[in-house]
Amino acid sequence: MAVLDIRDLSVSYSTPRGSLRALRNVSMTVPEGKIVGIVGESGCGKSTLISSIIRLMAPNAQVGSGEVRFKGTDLLARSEAEMRALRGTEISMVFQDPMQTHNPVLTVGQQMVDIQYRDKKPKAEKLKRAAEMLALVGIPDPEARLNQYPFEFSGGMRQRIAIAMALMARPALLIADEPTTALDATLEVQIIKRLKELQDEIGCGVLFISHHLGVIAELCDEVVVMYAGEVVESGTVRDVFHNPAHPYTAALLDCDPGHIKVKTRVLPTIPGNIPDLVNLPKGCIFADRCDKRHKACDTRPALWTARAGHRAACHLIAEKETA
Amino acid sequence: MTDTAIVLPRARSELGEILYHLVRDPLGLAGLIIVVAIVGSALLAPWIAPYDPVAMNIPDRLQGPNAAHLLGTDQIGRDTFSRVIWGGRVALKVALPTIAGAIVFGLLLGMIAGYGPKWLDSLIVLLFDTLRSFPTVMFALAVVALVGPSLNTVIFVIMVTSIPTYGRVVRTLTQSIKQSEFITAELSLGATVPRIMGIHILPNVLGPLAVLAAMDIPTVVGLEAGLSFLGMGVKPPTPSWGVLLSDGYALIRNTPWLIIAGGIPLILTTLGFTFLGEALRDVVDPKLRGKGGK
Repeated sequence: MAVLDIRDLSVSYSTPRGSLRALRNVSMTVPEGKIVGIVGESGCGKSTLISSIIRLMAPNAQVGSGEVRFKGTDLLARSEAEMRALRGTEISMVFQDPMQTHNPVLTVGQQMVDIQYRDKKPKAEKLKRAAEMLALVGIPDPEARLNQYPFEFSGGMRQRIAIAMALMARPALLIADEPTTALDATLEVQIIKRLKELQDEIGCGVLFISHHLGVIAELCDEVVVMYAGEVVESGTVRDVFHNPAHPYTAALLDCDPGHIKVKTRVLPTIPGNIPDLVNLPKGCIFADRCDKRHKACDTRPALWTARAGHRAACHLIAEKETA
Repeated sequence: MTDTAIVLPRARSELGEILYHLVRDPLGLAGLIIVVAIVGSALLAPWIAPYDPVAMNIPDRLQGPNAAHLLGTDQIGRDTFSRVIWGGRVALKVALPTIAGAIVFGLLLGMIAGYGPKWLDSLIVLLFDTLRSFPTVMFALAVVALVGPSLNTVIFVIMVTSIPTYGRVVRTLTQSIKQSEFITAELSLGATVPRIMGIHILPNVLGPLAVLAAMDIPTVVGLEAGLSFLGMGVKPPTPSWGVLLSDGYALIRNTPWLIIAGGIPLILTTLGFTFLGEALRDVVDPKLRGKGGK
């Protein structure tokens, strides 16, 4: 069964220019105990997607249609109090910038005890639990470090603390919003490894957002490629990375410095910009930047199945099938 | 910062920590000594003051400083030094409840305005602006005209006019803290609104507010002196620094000592609390602690 099953989700923001359609008919699933990666450039709707899962949306956001089914029930239909009960216990989140995710004037121990406010346990036990979690994420001498303030830790350690806090209640779903983007490369590897180990142990589903393709390849079982508020391709990491079915995914992979074998002066880019989400183009969302554009692209493609478990929103797939 | 940051066992409590760092800062120490001296002498006035502050002694009137009268005497022979010490009582009696009240209401209104819905924010800001638009003295005149001059009137007027100062600072801080990622992070871990306000926003607001309060005490004392000077505050023969100044002003041709005696405590209070406030600002923030020297 899927921990998270997003069906046909559309979210828009009301802006002075009109309705900005940040997510359009997004569907994706996170199977139990699997790590699903989301890739996409800035502005593709990753953040909107996360905030609608955890229901901490900007005040001007509106859900147009769709469902966010968590363990079989729709989160969008829950009351705020029910959502609050889920946050931190069933669904947790790790944020991008570890320098910003902790309250600067409280010690780490105080914060880790505070988030256990739902447990009716004595404080000593909560502190013990906090120390256990810190040890689990690889922070040496956790008891003493509980008395320290966030600024006394390095970025990598703060991110570990954030992970410890998120996993404290052994949630069923962890949402990681670019947790390694703000860290340097060595730390990135460490954090990824630790996250994978912890995920194995706790068995939670993970939704991992990143624009680092290498990290996704390393960590994830499945990957969803988003572009301008739509899912353009989804499948296993192997299928998507080795046989990208959508020209956008292919272009994205070509632009990854890790993939470039030949010495070059200029890094490749995808020409053009993402389309205006207030005035959407009629046809394929990627057509303007696509080098395989042809006549069919003036109509909107559906998510076609390229092979079992691998789907992409490109006319080329449908044409290959009929040909 | 590295992964091998020094591990200090934090044996001291938060308050002890603040005090420890405060006395290590020369400015903070000076401020603390002055403040303790002023507060102490005010509290112990009946034992410290050499004379009864209201006892007249006509033969000894208008003396300069001498062995018997450290700061001289006024036009009816009252000992100025004793009056200065007793005047400190009045000053603190006004300053403390005023600041305390202004902090409580400022925090309450400011946090509601900063965190609450937009319409409530606008309403509270409108209230603040309305209060601020009254010149304090005019407002005091109006209240005095209604209920008559007294210490309580002064306290009420200064408190009401101080609330917007605190409220605005709290509101702005709350608004910016509300946007911080750590608040979103706490929300995503299931924190309720009261917990966000009380556990996460309040401690971040209190530091700057303590500094503001320490720096505001001299203003309040000065206001009390000013209102008393204008005859809207405490009534003679109660000694207040403002009354001393007003008496000294009237007699400035006969002797400069009275007005000097009334001014010195005001200057000391201002300096003491300002030093303390400046030092506190560095100390209440755990990040700036122990990095003394500017």
